[in-house]
Amino acid sequence: MPFLNHAFFFYAFIVSFQTPELALNEVVQKVNPKMVKIYGSGGFKGLPAYGTGVLISPNGYVLTVANHLMESSDLRVHLYDGTRLPAKIVAIEPELDAALLKIGTDKSQFDDLPFFDIMSAAKTPQALPGTSILAFSNQFQIASRDEPMSVMRGNIAAFAKLFGRIGIFEAPYSGNVYVVDAITNNPGAAGGIITNRKGDILGIIGKELRNEQTNTWINYAVPINAEIEIRLTDGTTKKISITNLIEKKEAYKPVTKANKALGGGGYSGIFYVPNVVDRTPPYIEYLEPGSPAQKAGLQPDDLIVYVDGLPVVSITSLQELMLKYRPQDRVQLEIRRGDKLQTITVQFELPPKANATKVPESKGK
Amino acid sequence: MSSLLLLVGVIEIMVAQNSLEELQEKAVQAAVQRVSPSLVQIETTGGTEMIMGGAAPKGRRPGPATGPGVRKGSGPTTGLVVSPDGYVVSSAFNFANKPTSIIVSTSDGKRYVAKVVATDQARMVTLLKIETTGLLVPEAAPLGKLQVGQTAIALGRTLGGSPGAPPSVSMGIVSALGRIWGRAIQTDAKISPVNYGGPLIDLQGAVLGLLVPASPQADGETAGFEWYDSGIGFAIPLEHINSVLEKLKQGKDLRKGLLGITMQSPDMYAAEVIIGSVVPNSGGFKAGLKAGDKISAIDGKSVQNHAQLLHQLGPKYEGDLVSLTIVRGKDEIKLDKIILSGTLASPPLGFFGILPMRDDPAKGVQVRYVFPESGAARAGLKEGDRILKAGLGADITKAAPTTEIANRDALATLLSTATLGQFLAVEVKREDGTTLTLKGPIEQSTSFMPDKPPEKSSLAKLDKEPEKKAEIGTIKKQNAAGDRNYWVSVPINYDPRTSYALMVWLHPAGKGKDKDLDDLFGTWDQFCAQYKIIMIAPRCDADLGWTPGESDLILESIRYGTETYNIDRKRIVAHGMGTGGQMAFYLAFQQRDTIRAVAAVGASLGATPKERIANQALSFFLAVGDKDPIRETVLDTAKKLSDFQYPLILREMKDMGHQYFNSITFDLMATWIDLLDRI
Repeated sequence: MPFLNHAFFFYAFIVSFQTPELALNEVVQKVNPKMVKIYGSGGFKGLPAYGTGVLISPNGYVLTVANHLMESSDLRVHLYDGTRLPAKIVAIEPELDAALLKIGTDKSQFDDLPFFDIMSAAKTPQALPGTSILAFSNQFQIASRDEPMSVMRGNIAAFAKLFGRIGIFEAPYSGNVYVVDAITNNPGAAGGIITNRKGDILGIIGKELRNEQTNTWINYAVPINAEIEIRLTDGTTKKISITNLIEKKEAYKPVTKANKALGGGGYSGIFYVPNVVDRTPPYIEYLEPGSPAQKAGLQPDDLIVYVDGLPVVSITSLQELMLKYRPQDRVQLEIRRGDKLQTITVQFELPPKANATKVPESKGK
Repeated sequence: MSSLLLLVGVIEIMVAQNSLEELQEKAVQAAVQRVSPSLVQIETTGGTEMIMGGAAPKGRRPGPATGPGVRKGSGPTTGLVVSPDGYVVSSAFNFANKPTSIIVSTSDGKRYVAKVVATDQARMVTLLKIETTGLLVPEAAPLGKLQVGQTAIALGRTLGGSPGAPPSVSMGIVSALGRIWGRAIQTDAKISPVNYGGPLIDLQGAVLGLLVPASPQADGETAGFEWYDSGIGFAIPLEHINSVLEKLKQGKDLRKGLLGITMQSPDMYAAEVIIGSVVPNSGGFKAGLKAGDKISAIDGKSVQNHAQLLHQLGPKYEGDLVSLTIVRGKDEIKLDKIILSGTLASPPLGFFGILPMRDDPAKGVQVRYVFPESGAARAGLKEGDRILKAGLGADITKAAPTTEIANRDALATLLSTATLGQFLAVEVKREDGTTLTLKGPIEQSTSFMPDKPPEKSSLAKLDKEPEKKAEIGTIKKQNAAGDRNYWVSVPINYDPRTSYALMVWLHPAGKGKDKDLDDLFGTWDQFCAQYKIIMIAPRCDADLGWTPGESDLILESIRYGTETYNIDRKRIVAHGMGTGGQMAFYLAFQQRDTIRAVAAVGASLGATPKERIANQALSFFLAVGDKDPIRETVLDTAKKLSDFQYPLILREMKDMGHQYFNSITFDLMATWIDLLDRI
């Protein structure tokens, strides 16, 4: 196998100049003191009153997930050595699904806690699919007080967007996440971390979420260098990131995102077949004469299969996708006409006033 | 030279100590890169939300965890190029919801309309065709060289969006070979809809197999789905797929090869391989296998139990040849070149042609109606005749032995053993007091629907007032657990002395609100009173529709009906629309001893129907609007059911979409329910 021999030699050469790697148990020993267990008051039906967090400063700032625990009035944190401390919420950013806590009281201050340097960790390159990882969390509350986290081993499966169960815009975080091939997202695991095999932090383990694309539970972590652009209510956009949240601390103000129905949909002049079954295929039934869709060249019986590159499963999902456009926006529709695919660009207009009674909505809804 | 070699050796040792994992990561990424141009992304439009049907794993209770009902995700799925001229294979699971349109995107981002060419139904692998050339075909790892424990990497194209992005990766090892009766490789990599249809590769980037859900206990597209991401995953060897590729390209589905025998003992491991029965016209039947034969070897390999036989038979297809050694009495017989069957043809259902009177207190069966042109009509039976004795014979010119017939059920049981070409001899007493012996041929069950069978259907004695008054009108009931409820509609003219049909309404997704049920009961009211039907409407829990785990609630509501009212067990009908219709199919095939008929509106059967069972009649009434988007799949369902010789009425409603009945169909269905106890 010439390929393998070559690879072997090549990588061997590089490795020999680096510091020897830590053994797995050493990595675990290095990471564990930086992890905390979080407890809230119970009372949330079916939801665990415990979670996980990670220390990100020597004076007791903790990064975790923005979940139901944050509504708890008396948050408590257990450090690695079993020290039990109250915690207060510093900032929550729902768009990043992240929360920042501060532990300790006026009387108990820290300046020497072990921690992850998130600012420098965020500068390391993206981990590729196939990278082996370790996951640290307080899943199922197996650990208590001074017991270490549950550690799992797995691999990065993908770096991909989340598609939540409710609708494609409803996932807690809209950027790319690390999907992993270990079953990490268990009750209480949210706020835990995944690291590479050297123990460098890669991401924050997310909530338990069913993936709309596959209808299966998905295991994921929000990357530490998460940065997304959010469209605000006033129409402008703003970049938000975990590093920004950490840097600003108390000064951090979460953004107010614009409603998902951004454009409210423009007028195209398309009538679809009645939307009656679970997944009615979006066949065009009728086009209003002179409408943008008709002028663009669409025809009855065309089946719309992609909207700006996003696949369309049914009329319902098509209508959901169309909501983000507004008059004057252009949309690229890929249609199936017989056995041929065609791309047609339609520019939305304002609904014609004369035909106000014929607003283009699916008739069958 | 030698010092250089030494140096390399030293470095290798350091590597072994320090960074095997890093090496593995790089090797994995290289292997993935090598095969990823052969991965395609598959997107579908339309189809059903839920995939119902398929067989529940044998010997296990169907429930939410193991049930065959699966909600189909909306994301893309994965396929693998198998020839440069546009052939792609994928898991049949990815098309189990019968999508309207399939689009394949190759790794260069180009999109193509794809057609399903054929499916290997034994391994649940589907072959697709796109119109292109020059696709990259991956290398198949030689099956003979696979080792348990070697690295196995599962790849998929669901996550990550674009078809050119790196595929998703799940790492594992080969856990076992020859699984699923010799058909699959087992791996502990995480296998799920994320990578069904994608390849399982080795560290060199050669393809071990195609990832599919699979289970040794069940067949069908969704079998084994319950094990997703569990560390129990399966792949069909690519080498094997390549070996049947030419056959699949012909466009004909490949089916599992069957001998057509059942075992005397249900114990797969402890009992000897003794044949319990041989299905007529099957390969085993034609080869002369008989009940009581003991199979001692197949293709020269000795077998001690049924499981070993299945292991040898598992990889084979319809049309393949096997040789058997059997022990019959003291003889050892070798049977060569037995041609395996693909389906076991159900014999057509025998039908005589009468409708019996119900609630008959007297001995025998009084004829309510004689179907025109039926065997009964040709025998000369008339309405009002009372059948006292009956018997089956092979030759109509000769007499047949008859035995006394106690009631309607006894006659039906006798008929369930009848085959076409036999005749039924009956001794009848006419209304004028004369006694005759009549003979008529057993014929294939007909879908003929008389306009109106005689209204009088019951011989219940109505002289005495019933002791107990039953609740009538709309009754709201709660299940025993107290967390769910169901409605019951009893006609105001209900009389506990006469028997009623029971119709279980399984509403479509999202149509289980009070108003919906009120409306439905309202529309059926007059038909229920006229045709003596009691309706029960359980409600499903989720907005998205019924799940197989809800069978228990439905059965509980049926039990309430049968225990509280006078219900004719021959006429318990599961009636549903949309996902409710799918649930009706599912329920009927799972609860054969309870459900006698399915009336489904705008709903299709997900999987292949199960075989008919003698004396557990199951009839179907399918209605679909001729403009319903799922019309084609309903027609396909009708075809499948009639292939299995189930009595079937298919009604296409003119100028209708995905809608409930028009008025003509109400009448038709009510009449059909009235005819369910025909003999």
